[in-house]
Amino acid sequence: MPITKKALLFLCMQWQISSIFQKYMDNLSTFNPNEWVNKYADALYAYAVVRVTDTGLAEDIVQDTFLSAWKARDTYQGQASEKNWLYTICKNKIIDYYRKKAKSIVQLTTKEEELYFDEVEHWTNETGPKEWGVDYEQPIEKKEFYAALENCKRKLNDIQQSVFVMKYMEELDANEICKVLNITPSNYWVLIHRAKLHLRKCLEKNWINIH
Amino acid sequence: MKKLLNITCTRATLLVSKKEDGKLSLLEKIQLRLHLSICSFCRLFAKQSFLIGNNAKHAHTTACLTNEQKEKIKELIKAS
Repeated sequence: MPITKKALLFLCMQWQISSIFQKYMDNLSTFNPNEWVNKYADALYAYAVVRVTDTGLAEDIVQDTFLSAWKARDTYQGQASEKNWLYTICKNKIIDYYRKKAKSIVQLTTKEEELYFDEVEHWTNETGPKEWGVDYEQPIEKKEFYAALENCKRKLNDIQQSVFVMKYMEELDANEICKVLNITPSNYWVLIHRAKLHLRKCLEKNWINIH
Repeated sequence: MKKLLNITCTRATLLVSKKEDGKLSLLEKIQLRLHLSICSFCRLFAKQSFLIGNNAKHAHTTACLTNEQKEKIKELIKAS
């Protein structure tokens, strides 16, 4: 039955061609810069601004994200959703920013821990944590908490902010963070520790007292 | 032995974050557990430290870009 075989082959090829064509058309229609910006710019901006704190910088990062995405549009395979793809690019831009910023610094000299502990390195009655009266295990939904966290985070020094964001917001692995910031694991833990001590104190003062 | 197992609050609070990451050595595990059993400040710190780490990723804001800023990005893409 040579004819049937041929016909099958023909149908098969037709189907393949049409599916390739379909995919191509899909790509064409999704890669519309105006639509992209309208759809995702605000979300990406909000994502960036809580991570880099500076509004102008966050705007630049969003801009770069779109430009890079536009340049790389041919390599987008459609495995990740368009949104996730853009977020990944944005996330990498943020990490790049931390990498550049960390180049010059990272010398841990001052003993910031002394702010909280006495001469035998124990809490004092004044500095010791107070009961917050919340369920510590449950996610917090109050927006006042996030506003306070944001303000407290801004008060950390640059490198502490970088470490905190990468660890707790981007959820990167400790080794990766050390590599990006060019720090040793022991410095990494010191930075995490200090960031936590400062944030805890600041939240106790600015969130717990008003909520 | 006592010297080996006793740690300060400074050390204990650092180990708390390490523990959240599952990065404690056996000795550190014992040191921290012993310290927490006698120190209510550090116990409270551990709970609050967990709360901070657990909620940070949900940080959000209602900040958004102005229409002008968006138009600028569109122009930049078209020009690229």
